[in-house]
Amino acid sequence: MLKRLLFIRGVEIVAITMLAAIPLMVSNSYVLALLTLLAIYGILLIGLDVTVGYLGQVNLAHAAFLGLGAYASGLSVSLLGFGMLSALSVSMLVGLILGGLLAFPALRLEGPQFALATLSFSALSVTVLNEWEALTGGAQGLHVSRPIFFGHTVNAQGFYWLCLILLAFVWMAMRNLLSSQWGRAFEALRDSPIATDAMGVGTYRHKVAGFAMGSALGGLAGGLYAFNFQYLQPQSFVYELMVILLLGVVLGGRKSLWGAFFGACLVALLPNLLSNRLLFQVISALGLLAALLAGARGLMKKTTQPFQAVAPVIAMGLLVVGGMMVKNTEDWRKAIFALMLFSVVVGLPEGIMGFAARFLSRLFRIDPPALPPASILDVALPVKKPDGGPLLILQELKRYFGGVKAVDGISITVQSGQIHGLIGPNGSGKSTAVNVISGLYSPSSGKMLLHDKALPRGMFNVARTGISRTFQNLQLFSELSALENVMVAMKGAFRIPLPLVLMGFAKREEKRAQADALALLELTGLDNQARISAKDLTYGDQRFLEIARALARKPELLILDEPAAGLALPDVHKLLDIIRQIHQRGITIILIEHHMDVVTKLCDVVTVLDGGKVIAEGSAEEVKCNPKVIEAYLGTANEENTADIAL
Amino acid sequence: MNSIIIAQMAVSGAFMGLVYALIAYGFQLTFSTSKSINFGQGELVMLSAFFSLTLLNLGVPYWLMVPGGLLFGVILGLAVERAGVRLALEQKSEGWILLTIIIGLLGFSAAENIWGRDDRPFPTPISSDALQFFGVSITPLEISVAIGVFAIMGLIELFKRKTLLGKAFEAVSADRDAAELMGISATRTVMLSYGLSGLVAAMAGILVSPITTVGPTMASALILKAFSVAVVAGLDSGFGVVVIGIFLGALESLTSFYLGSGWRETPGLILLILALAVRPNGVFGKATIRKV
Amino acid sequence: MLSIENLYAGYGTSKVLSGASLEVAQGKVVALIGANGAGKTTTMRAISGMLKPSQGRVLLDGKPVQGFDASRIARMGLAHAPEGRKVFGPLSTEDNLLLGAYSRLPLFFGFRAKSADDLERVYDLFPLLRERRLQSAGTLSGGEQQMLAIGRALMANPKVMLLDEPSMGLAPVIVQEVFNTIRRLKAAGITLLLVEQFAESALDVADYVYVMEHGRIVAQGAPAELQKDRRVLEAYLG
Repeated sequence: MLKRLLFIRGVEIVAITMLAAIPLMVSNSYVLALLTLLAIYGILLIGLDVTVGYLGQVNLAHAAFLGLGAYASGLSVSLLGFGMLSALSVSMLVGLILGGLLAFPALRLEGPQFALATLSFSALSVTVLNEWEALTGGAQGLHVSRPIFFGHTVNAQGFYWLCLILLAFVWMAMRNLLSSQWGRAFEALRDSPIATDAMGVGTYRHKVAGFAMGSALGGLAGGLYAFNFQYLQPQSFVYELMVILLLGVVLGGRKSLWGAFFGACLVALLPNLLSNRLLFQVISALGLLAALLAGARGLMKKTTQPFQAVAPVIAMGLLVVGGMMVKNTEDWRKAIFALMLFSVVVGLPEGIMGFAARFLSRLFRIDPPALPPASILDVALPVKKPDGGPLLILQELKRYFGGVKAVDGISITVQSGQIHGLIGPNGSGKSTAVNVISGLYSPSSGKMLLHDKALPRGMFNVARTGISRTFQNLQLFSELSALENVMVAMKGAFRIPLPLVLMGFAKREEKRAQADALALLELTGLDNQARISAKDLTYGDQRFLEIARALARKPELLILDEPAAGLALPDVHKLLDIIRQIHQRGITIILIEHHMDVVTKLCDVVTVLDGGKVIAEGSAEEVKCNPKVIEAYLGTANEENTADIAL
Repeated sequence: MNSIIIAQMAVSGAFMGLVYALIAYGFQLTFSTSKSINFGQGELVMLSAFFSLTLLNLGVPYWLMVPGGLLFGVILGLAVERAGVRLALEQKSEGWILLTIIIGLLGFSAAENIWGRDDRPFPTPISSDALQFFGVSITPLEISVAIGVFAIMGLIELFKRKTLLGKAFEAVSADRDAAELMGISATRTVMLSYGLSGLVAAMAGILVSPITTVGPTMASALILKAFSVAVVAGLDSGFGVVVIGIFLGALESLTSFYLGSGWRETPGLILLILALAVRPNGVFGKATIRKV
Repeated sequence: MLSIENLYAGYGTSKVLSGASLEVAQGKVVALIGANGAGKTTTMRAISGMLKPSQGRVLLDGKPVQGFDASRIARMGLAHAPEGRKVFGPLSTEDNLLLGAYSRLPLFFGFRAKSADDLERVYDLFPLLRERRLQSAGTLSGGEQQMLAIGRALMANPKVMLLDEPSMGLAPVIVQEVFNTIRRLKAAGITLLLVEQFAESALDVADYVYVMEHGRIVAQGAPAELQKDRRVLEAYLG
């Protein structure tokens, strides 16, 4: 514990002290300018990493937020006479608000559409900065004077320290944020947005908040940028800068504060690198060597595909050969960035820091912080007394897909405190029915009432009513550990408001949530696998983890969608045991199953579906003897009508 | 008088709008087979235009230059697919967004250094003397743009509907796995779609160059509007792009008339963000079903 | 005609197939039955190349095909009508059928003329599809889509046809029809590997049956033999 604290925090403190001390030792204005830029880009890239790394979206608007922040600061000083801190706050606010406004529509879709929206936003921003000449001075540019800071004028060295202090603050705040529920939610929604919604976490608002925060950091960096250069031009914030920033984040390594810092070093140094020919040649040759080695190693170990190994070598080779042939490397600046970025994206997708982190963690075995003892189960999952009345009522529920009537008018009443089985042959509409109940699909027609109130639309809203579910095709947050999977879904555990989270006041509720999550893992027999990431669990354990995660919602109604599918016999017995325990805590369960024996052992009532319709309902024994059910399960084949047709 | 000016602006804008529609159609071609688009498509337009100009300067006659330029576009499209898209698709990652941007940047830089940063005129045998229609003047050059756009889009649509290979193309966009089971190679279909999208880009370059001149930045404004058209119309709807393209072209022409030419890109950009907010799948697009 | 030897395959951490072997002789209908999650569909996917097996061999007409792309295996004469039917929703019924014959038709022109006879044959087998030939496949009912999926597979004139859960999600009357169709295919000498959840019906049409559990074949034999030993069946099928 102490070792970990000393090591990780120690490195950070040493790094920042060294950075702060450099100007005292080297009095060189060039070095100082470079360091200042490094601190500013550090803040900028940490912001970009929130969207690109944690949210996993290609964000092309960050350069625009830098520009908007810069102009906001510049104008609030020159027009409104603001001081340094208030001007910077304005920049941050501009980033936050515009970021939020952009994210609202843009984050509804993923992938290319999002990238397109952010790209358009950048172009729009540059157009506005260019054309609103009365305010921004247009293409002529805007001169900004560095304002006073608490009544003092700030010299270059002082400004550098200010930037550095801000970087340190941002660093700490982001670390607090990312190690809280927020950080987990970001990663969860990247792995499975569907499950994030189903666990009541709210994919959309987390995305918007994350994007707005990242943009606010872009704005802050913009303010510092304005006071550093003291001259602004719309042309500085175009596409090309965006590509360089992405290069920084990707090369540094996504999802890592240190990665963003390395990226910032690179972005700050890159222009200098190009202006010195010898340096450029050395670096490109080193790049080629690295690509060759990595490619050969990857091919030998069969961890990379041929293209992944060869393409970076070709790209770096082009860089080396081109570097010799070309007269002026400055002219080919964009091509050089492009080739470097190409090699990294193809050959080293996890970035330098990702690569280094794997290596370092092997070198220094640092134990993760100890977990608290598990809470007692009554705390994590309080026992509720069911009232015995009807809990969920479905009336004439229908869901069609084109011409296929997946659910064709089913009416079911689920009594509270019971285990209600839903069975039927493959494709009989069981899974579609629960997908409609849990809000993934909207019904084509029909009513759904929970406690006599209509169920809301959408998974997120349904999840908040006290219905929780598992998925037949596992929807775990594969990169998160088993413990974190449960913690993400933990209901009512995270109440501390965002500003306090940023200041690091979420530690206590974090511990409590860990303890509660451990209790649920214990219930499902996973307490010894708490730290293993979900994708590395065995198949059976992944199924149990789905249940533990659903229980973290403290549900009134738990829907288990084929929990026994693909389980080996010992695991099936374990499953029966778990379901019984859950039931004893007063939770109503809808159990979708294919195995008749599982259903017989557990269920109070069984509804049988076939072809999207209810064909029987009653106790397991009654249902088993129903001739319609027998027919549906065994199928019938008549001998008639088999006239031959020449084929 | 005023209404004639407005009509004139709208009509000239609409012809430009057809070019946006053509480029947007290129996005749809690749999106339908692979759910990916080439973010460097603008550079393809520009590079093909430069290449065609070089052919002309070498003394190749105009009508021979056209197939040459188109072929160049196809080759570029295939190269983008191979270098930037295939691996990412195999890994089911969104790396292709970054990679196509990067390849575009590389192309841009190459053009800057090979052909220079200045804008150059693009000679054409088609006259630009205005003809009058109800007081609105239209040039044969503009008409040639319309003919070219409709011809190439018509041919590709015909190919998609009337040939078995074209139907295979649609099968891959409907269900990639099932298409593979029919013996249709999805990888090759995606390749084909990138080739076609390169062809479309080259056609757009050849059509638009006589109007806009040729330079490294010629496509940077074009491409933004093509993005808008594609998103507003929906990335999977066929002729919706033409309607939206014409509408947007007219709209921005009027905007630049009333607000100044610097603002001409804004309606497209605002339209795009609005469309994403109100109809994320586009005006003509279909909603998708999330599967578990 | 088709045989798999000691096949291993799975998704991510879950190993679904662990050493499955089976054989389908020319002109025979072979059924693969077993409980849900036993690995039946995975077997089909591993054969047709939708899933790459991690170990073992798949022989089609004596030639190893494991690890090939699905499209290549299809061109070698294997037609797979997959679970869930997977018809091309936006395309018309007839286009769906034409695409079934994709690997043996000219790509640009003349493919209609060349496929006219085969098309007629499929329409004779499923007259309903003839009525629906211009309707887009996504608007067909579940049963019609299943007929289309089978017809599409037939269009390839395959050496072997895989039929995965053709009765899934269909009303009992339609299920009967599906099995009647399978009988006709059998009578016409089509080599068929059938995965079915309705064991009884499958036993009824098949020449030979494999029972699968936990990714392995645990019992096999002619339907009559297996019928006799019903205890075995019930134990495995749950």
